Amino acid sequence: MLRYVALRVLIALVLVWLVSTLVFLVLHLVPGDPAELLLSAGNTAPDPEAVAQLRSQMGLDRPVLAQYASYIADLTHLDFGVSLRDQNPIAPELALRLPRTLELILAAALIASLIGVPLGTIAAMRDGGWSEKLVSLLASAALSTPVFVVGTTLVLVFAQWLGWISAGGYVPLAEDPARHFALLAMPAATIALPLTAVMIRMTRASVLEVLEKDHVRTARAKGLARGPIIRRHVVRNALVPVITVLGLEMGTLIGGTVLVEYVFNWPGLSGYLVRAVEARDYPEVVGIVLVISFLFVLLNLLIDITYAVLDPRVKLAK
Amino acid sequence: MTRAQRSLYIWLGLAAVLIAFPLLAPVLPLQPTIGMDIPHRFAGPSAANWLGNDEYGRDVLSRIIWGARASLAVAFGSAFCAAVIGTVLGLLGGYFRGITEVLAVRSTEIVICLPPLLLAMLVITILGAGVLTLTVALTILFVPNYTRVVYAATLQTGGLDFVKAQEAMGTHPLKILARTVLPNIVPPLLVQFSLTVASGILLESGLSFLGLGVVPPAPSWGLMIRAARAAMDQQPLLLLWPSLSLAGTVLLLNVICDRLQDVLSPKTAARGGAAWLRRQIKRTPGVPAPEVPLLKIEDLSVGVALEHGSMGLTKGISFEIKPGETMALVGESGSGKTLTGLAMTGLLPNALNVTDGHAWFRTDNGVVDLSALTEDEFGPLRGNEISMVFQDASAALNPVHRIGDQLAEIIQRHRPMPKAQAEEEVVDLLRKVGIPDPERRQRAYPFELSGGQRQRAMIAMAVANAPKLLIADEPTTALDPTIQAQILRLFGKLKDDNPGMGVIFVTHNLAVVKEIATHVSVMYAGQVVEQGTVAEVFADPRHPYTKALLASVPESDAERLESIPGTVPQPGAMPEGCRFAPRCAHAAAACAAPQPLLDTGAGRTTRCLRWADLWKDVA
Repeated sequence: MLRYVALRVLIALVLVWLVSTLVFLVLHLVPGDPAELLLSAGNTAPDPEAVAQLRSQMGLDRPVLAQYASYIADLTHLDFGVSLRDQNPIAPELALRLPRTLELILAAALIASLIGVPLGTIAAMRDGGWSEKLVSLLASAALSTPVFVVGTTLVLVFAQWLGWISAGGYVPLAEDPARHFALLAMPAATIALPLTAVMIRMTRASVLEVLEKDHVRTARAKGLARGPIIRRHVVRNALVPVITVLGLEMGTLIGGTVLVEYVFNWPGLSGYLVRAVEARDYPEVVGIVLVISFLFVLLNLLIDITYAVLDPRVKLAK
Repeated sequence: MTRAQRSLYIWLGLAAVLIAFPLLAPVLPLQPTIGMDIPHRFAGPSAANWLGNDEYGRDVLSRIIWGARASLAVAFGSAFCAAVIGTVLGLLGGYFRGITEVLAVRSTEIVICLPPLLLAMLVITILGAGVLTLTVALTILFVPNYTRVVYAATLQTGGLDFVKAQEAMGTHPLKILARTVLPNIVPPLLVQFSLTVASGILLESGLSFLGLGVVPPAPSWGLMIRAARAAMDQQPLLLLWPSLSLAGTVLLLNVICDRLQDVLSPKTAARGGAAWLRRQIKRTPGVPAPEVPLLKIEDLSVGVALEHGSMGLTKGISFEIKPGETMALVGESGSGKTLTGLAMTGLLPNALNVTDGHAWFRTDNGVVDLSALTEDEFGPLRGNEISMVFQDASAALNPVHRIGDQLAEIIQRHRPMPKAQAEEEVVDLLRKVGIPDPERRQRAYPFELSGGQRQRAMIAMAVANAPKLLIADEPTTALDPTIQAQILRLFGKLKDDNPGMGVIFVTHNLAVVKEIATHVSVMYAGQVVEQGTVAEVFADPRHPYTKALLASVPESDAERLESIPGTVPQPGAMPEGCRFAPRCAHAAAACAAPQPLLDTGAGRTTRCLRWADLWKDVA
């Protein structure tokens, strides 16, 4: 187990380095002068003085390799540079907002698992029946509706019409726990919806496959009742591929937070990102994109480890 | 045309009709999308403006149709560009391998490490918002998807014989790629294309919604939702139209993608899931239960349910087992011996069921008909009074639970007891079946044990609750000959420990029968052809099939090994009369009629009409 975890951590570190390099390269691979590009809007040529100033501010006047070296060196100290807008260091702002986004993602993953796995299991057990058709239809609909449409509709219904909850915002947990979770509910549910649909589809397919396995027949031959068979010998085995898909969907999930944080005014990383992109504040955007990508890699690492816990055979492979 | 194809064409037709509207937008009599009409701000649907007017009084219907153009242009444009670039990279990487593979395939996979929306936002920061930027950003995002799919398909196709043959004939690699490999990767490409178009529409509208995509006042669904959100307390309907258009379009694309997959790779698995999970109707045998010492099978038949009626797999199996006896069911594969074993525990595969007959079994609470029990009624019997050992222990044990836990489970199911006590029993059981170091091995997972040890664990599970009847389905077939002998000795030892236990031993190996069984039922093509004690049947077979079977065993006394000519008839094409007649050297005209099981005295039966003429003199 220890060797497996060590290997996974190593792979994750390599991924972090690759992603950082890719993000660095994006600015330099785009044809044209980066500083000029960042300052141009529409067809108007930017002011040459401003371009020169931005160039020296971002260190773009130095050789590319030297820029890369100091970029990576800064990253190892978790130094993300300063914002172009107000010259404030970016790292503290990231540290403040990261936990809020993480909370949203984890809450959504939790909701999706708690709803998706049981519904997917039921759909598989009742394969061909009306409950399976209903669940599959709902899953298709949930997958096809964009998160910002769902979020906006929730705001319209629950905040505007019913007035149960305010349209969005954030209160720190320490300040008012009840209000904190009340405000978390809608954004988390919105992100969870498409993920729940994916979980339902995957769980259904996976359970149907496990039901065909010989060891389920053995469990029946032991005289076990349906409940324990489904819990211990079907769902437990079926979870392994479902967990893998959860990892693959993590990218979409994180992308979803960008839109949902905006809709619900949740002060996480993504709202910060939208403002940074609007202002075309490149260092800020890079900092946020890097932190979210690292988060993405980290979540996938956690999923790999969960995988090994669920299926003891995994540790032996590779 | 199959049903799946018809369904696909219907959905494609619907998509074509819907796409025609935005394509024809310039010639449709639509109102202008730009320009203000303040008096009609937030007006509801009317004859002139079917969907009403927006916050600047512009016609919503016309903006929806023109907005679709933006979404479709970005989505199709980027999906197409990505398909071209990704296909080229994937083909090159998959065909040439080596350094090309690293550059073309592995490098693009780094993009996958970034959440999709983020990379797009990075590109927008550099290039500024707009339709062209969006298309560039989404193209970069989608390239790796195509590269992966094409790469995998190319690797597969590249290894095929006809590609190898062309290579050997010196055809230029590019020509092979274009002519042979490319057509073979079209199906996965089509699926990928419909997926990326759907995803492109979602990303475009999402970014426009954030104000980072299409630049106003140009219409776009994302922008319309953004504007409607700001005014939703005044006119909620404005939110409805673009949301419906967006979700409907994506749903349509997803459905097309699903149908496409159905057409390209038809699912073979029967739908309906596991029958045992469904509510079962309680059945009564219809006849009073006879007095049986342990088990009495009467005319048991198993069939497979087909679309029209059912097809018989075994027919009229009858035999009896008294406590302490071991009945061997022997025959070639496909003779129905395993099905007979499974039918007695209600574990027949999904479409199969008992079509006729009874299996009377003496339980602690009286005689029951095993062929008529429901899943719930079987619960207290299985693993307790009747238990099974399966052929392939590596598949029959659950790979994710420890051996000890799987054993404790069956003990605690039928005899509730504290965990510690169950664990003690588990260790004793494992020791009894000859697993060394049971205290440690009970913590092992099935994959950590050898094949012989797994089968021992499986057997331990079967005898954990001292069953009255043990059904062993080819328990030694998957094992090495030396291990086989050990497992057979273990069965002998378990019989000695529990002398009242009846055993049904399913095997195709006559040497095993001789070693372990007291009685034998020889099966052929779904029927019992001969029955008797092992000693008598082996010494004096009274059916040509038994005789041929004995002559084909290396250990038999025959001077040379004989093979039986011909093959077992298929279930759908059973001969009317004696099922062995087509392969029998002694077949006569009378054998064309259905053959009953004849009593030949001293508890022996045969299904051969001519047994008396053929072997009277020999006997």
